[in-house]
Amino acid sequence: HRNLMQVVYGAPATLSTSINRGQEHDDSEEEEFFKPKQEGKKNVGEGTEAEDVNVEDCSKFVRSPKSWKERDVVESIRDRFVTGDWSK
Amino acid sequence: MGKTTYKRLKGSQSFRQRLLLATLSSTAVSIDDIRTDSTRPGLRPHEVSLVRLFEKICDDCVVVFNDTGTRVTYKPGIIMGGRNLVHDCGLSRSIGYFLEPLIVLALFAKKPLSIRLRGITNDSKDPSVDTFRSTTLPMLKHFGVPTEGLELKIESRGVAPGGGGEIILSIPTVQGLKAVTWIDEGMIKRIRGVTFSTRVSVQLENTAIHSARGIFNRLLPDVHIFTDHRTGPQAGKSPGYGMSLVAETTSGCFISTDTAVSYRGGNEEVEMEEEKTEIVPAEDLGEQTASALLGEIEQGGVVDSVHQGLLFLLCAACPPDVSKVRVGKLSPYGIGTLRNIRDFLGVTFVIKPDPSTETVILKCVGCGLKNFSKKVS
Repeated sequence: HRNLMQVVYGAPATLSTSINRGQEHDDSEEEEFFKPKQEGKKNVGEGTEAEDVNVEDCSKFVRSPKSWKERDVVESIRDRFVTGDWSK
Repeated sequence: MGKTTYKRLKGSQSFRQRLLLATLSSTAVSIDDIRTDSTRPGLRPHEVSLVRLFEKICDDCVVVFNDTGTRVTYKPGIIMGGRNLVHDCGLSRSIGYFLEPLIVLALFAKKPLSIRLRGITNDSKDPSVDTFRSTTLPMLKHFGVPTEGLELKIESRGVAPGGGGEIILSIPTVQGLKAVTWIDEGMIKRIRGVTFSTRVSVQLENTAIHSARGIFNRLLPDVHIFTDHRTGPQAGKSPGYGMSLVAETTSGCFISTDTAVSYRGGNEEVEMEEEKTEIVPAEDLGEQTASALLGEIEQGGVVDSVHQGLLFLLCAACPPDVSKVRVGKLSPYGIGTLRNIRDFLGVTFVIKPDPSTETVILKCVGCGLKNFSKKVS
């Protein structure tokens, strides 16, 4: 299992890179240096913008659709419904 | 006052949340390199419109753009709110783009907000105004937002490219939010929804509903999807149709999804070429929307993927008590939100997978965002 904390906030060493540095210009290079790795993950599935820091601001997330017409697929979520089988 | 210190940021990413969090945390920001390498550099019309909207709702904020729009500095002011405001959201993104930051902003305003928003009410990129009404507003109640004065009225509908839609949004103010323990997603007990059509036959709605019901048939009998056929001035300026669905659980969670399609007119501006949409047949649209909803249900969590960002924002804005929430797989937008929250509010979430249900549990201690204009009673 991946460590979700690291996926979201980055590895401990890079944790502070995107945190507020006030007006210290020197850090901007460092920030850029670390950006691609973090942002790369974020970019997955929404490659409409080439530039990572300009990734599209969109809350919708489109998953690859499943075929919900098939019986097996439907049965896989049956127990999320009140009509599920609770005798098990 | 002394010289303002600006928090330096890059790119157009998270533009909405950056503006919002900058305002809530009274942090001045300077954003550079906005689409510098793009063929159309700088801010997009909807981003400029969002800035104008913030200016309308706040007093004394200072915004400076450079000539090319690749750099903007923003010094937040006081969130005022107010009655009978009007804002044209333009046509480059739908009203749904503006609603998320606007709702959170308004909660912390001096006075309750009521605003008329003009533009596109339904499109495929942003959550529809129907989703905001059915899912987003009820979500706020979990955090102690009063129901009174919380309303979204759809006066007219409008789709791309012409728009012409209009809604009236009312948001009450809060003194502070209430931390939540919200991990019980419950079971789906009913599905509701609404289709709409503007300047096309209502038959498209009926066809879409029929095919959506076909998908749900094996799972749940309690499915009601209403139609909202608009004509005349209430139908905006362009033909289109769509569907918004919401699944309600036994524990009071709402899981939503929506789609809309519109017929691009002949005098189409060469705008976003990648956006040219093929017209989806009504049968496919119904099936797709229903399938997307089942996809969201499969993911689990107390909110759908679209609402992860808002959920995290609200948790982080709570008083310094522990909030605990459950979501499905973290969405890219949700992850971006968590980073923005850390950067602006200094709130870091503890994020743990729950392997038995394949969901994710997030915990945080709120930053104690207060509405200073509200008197403590």
